[in-house]
Amino acid sequence: MFKLFKKDLTLFFHDQRSVILTFLLPVILITLFAFAYGSFGAFDGRSEPVTLLVSDLDKTLSAKEIINRIDSLEDIKTVMSDTVKSLDMVIRGKYAGALIIYKGFQDSLVSGKSPQIELLYDRSREMEIAILQQNVIRAAMNDRKSAIGIKWTSVVGEKNDIKLGLIQAVAGTAILMLLFSVAGVGASILEEKENGTINRLLYSPLKVSSILYGKMLFAFFISILQLTTMFLFAWLVFNLDLSINIPALILMILATAFAVSGIGVFLAAVAKTRQQAQNLSTIIILIMSAIGGSMIPLFIMPVILQKIAFLSVNYWGIQGFYDIFWRNLPLEAILPKIFILSGIGIFMTLSSILLFRKRIMKF
Amino acid sequence: MIQIRSVSKSFGNIEAVRDMSFSINKGEIFGILGPNGAGKSTIVNILNTLVKPDKGDVIIDGVNINNDGDTIKLIMGVVPQEIALYEELSAYENLMFWGGLYDIPKQMLVNNINRTLEVVDLVNRKNDRIKTFSGGMKRRINIACSLLHNPRILVLDEPTVGVDPQNRNHIFEVIERLHNNGMTIIYTTHYLEEAERFCDKIAIIDVGRIIALGTLKELRKISDAKDLLTIKLADYNNETISTIMSANPLIRFDSTTKTLEIDCENISNEISKMTNLIQDAGGVIERIYTRGTNLESIYLKLTGKELRD
Repeated sequence: MFKLFKKDLTLFFHDQRSVILTFLLPVILITLFAFAYGSFGAFDGRSEPVTLLVSDLDKTLSAKEIINRIDSLEDIKTVMSDTVKSLDMVIRGKYAGALIIYKGFQDSLVSGKSPQIELLYDRSREMEIAILQQNVIRAAMNDRKSAIGIKWTSVVGEKNDIKLGLIQAVAGTAILMLLFSVAGVGASILEEKENGTINRLLYSPLKVSSILYGKMLFAFFISILQLTTMFLFAWLVFNLDLSINIPALILMILATAFAVSGIGVFLAAVAKTRQQAQNLSTIIILIMSAIGGSMIPLFIMPVILQKIAFLSVNYWGIQGFYDIFWRNLPLEAILPKIFILSGIGIFMTLSSILLFRKRIMKF
Repeated sequence: MIQIRSVSKSFGNIEAVRDMSFSINKGEIFGILGPNGAGKSTIVNILNTLVKPDKGDVIIDGVNINNDGDTIKLIMGVVPQEIALYEELSAYENLMFWGGLYDIPKQMLVNNINRTLEVVDLVNRKNDRIKTFSGGMKRRINIACSLLHNPRILVLDEPTVGVDPQNRNHIFEVIERLHNNGMTIIYTTHYLEEAERFCDKIAIIDVGRIIALGTLKELRKISDAKDLLTIKLADYNNETISTIMSANPLIRFDSTTKTLEIDCENISNEISKMTNLIQDAGGVIERIYTRGTNLESIYLKLTGKELRD
């Protein structure tokens, strides 16, 4: 029995993939989740103040006083803006909320009436909104002259009946799964090298670049097919309204598929063997998905992790789909994300070609 | 048809091919014989334009491979050492794919596939997936995939590695059929008996150099390798042995195995001479062994080492 145990232990530690998946990956993910849930050292949820846009239409001393009071709170940083711009930036997802101090605020206070202020917010950003609500109420309560009435208005995702969790589930999962399938397609190039078919392809009149483009085209096609299937499934089973912005949805699917297939092929280009490609893909995809919002919604992550999320293709994909289904933004507002995804795809494709040329032509 | 002139190729510090020159005539089977790492695969990859030589020229059918690699790829079919097939596809699907890379019109490709399946004798298995094939059948489809564009030259890189004797014979028949149809074949192997069986001309290479080149007859002459006659004696005495040895000083005697050995040009002439000599000297023969000159003895003679699998 002991000999069997010893043999299995030796085999286990000789298998690089098993060791990585058993120890290193969980450690990395636990660290990321600990950051995300705000229970790791400095990142206990208070590390970065939440920005609140403020539009002061009253422009009186009393209005300034309440703004200063909010600004003095540890968890909030105020940025002055006009009403239209503030509303637009909240709708576009740039800020979690905007406070509007209407004209007549001071007059109401002086006359002993309850003056009104309004907090416009994006309810997809739960964590930040909770901080904003808590602190704005605190600042309002501090006013001893009169009770200030606060109107809470959710300005994003109200036009349609879409559930926020559904968008997160579909977009987040779709991109995560897509990365895994495309990494498999990329690794098939290494499989072709290992079983000798790549040499036979090179014996034919095909050019090296044609072989790679062929693989990439397949990865791109599979990605489009997989994303489309997932959205169609969400439409059929969960009533996700795909007709909200069809041109933007098509472009987002194409751009996401392109970026993701580029990453899949790039991972294979970096690795020397199929085994190495699988190990590398598992680690990178899970980390990218964890920081990019596929596993945990970005809005519950600390600000620092939300900033790192920009490095992940998942982030741009998920945010693009949020823009379509949640924020109902027009195509031109989504175009920057589409361009970024396309840029990631182009960069990854060109890098893969350079790397593959070197690797494949080595005999 | 093929001329290789002073070709050299190095990978880092390793000289894979050193100043190699030879020519191959149309319709010939040219064997490249050598142990693993001798430079056989490098030569194959130079011929099919995948590896560019550092020095020298390769002219195939009047075309310099450095100037027009694309034409060379159409003239040449290469059967790789690995079974380079897609296991999940059927034999027919594999043939359609590999043949399709040469832009052959569809109907012509279908005709070529059917003809090639007949050549490799696998018509009745064409719709079966490759993963259900035996090793030998896979090897035959591996050859078929390289014939679809009707190449004038076929390069076979160790086509019988890991194949059982029955399937090996099947592959030999395919090669002989192709040879009879006038195809020029370059055959790399480290199996001496295969080179001996097929090849009109053989280049023996070792550490990137050609050690000997020619027909089997020419190689025999170059190496000075001779047939070996061995006679085991049942009964003898010292006088018998000294009589034999004095009659022919080239005869060697091993008292522990009780055997007499002699190298000879013509083994059948030598047998009668030796038996008469032994009997006249009063010896009794137990058994006679003969070993004709073959590539193995030539290789051994030329390199001083045996060619192992």
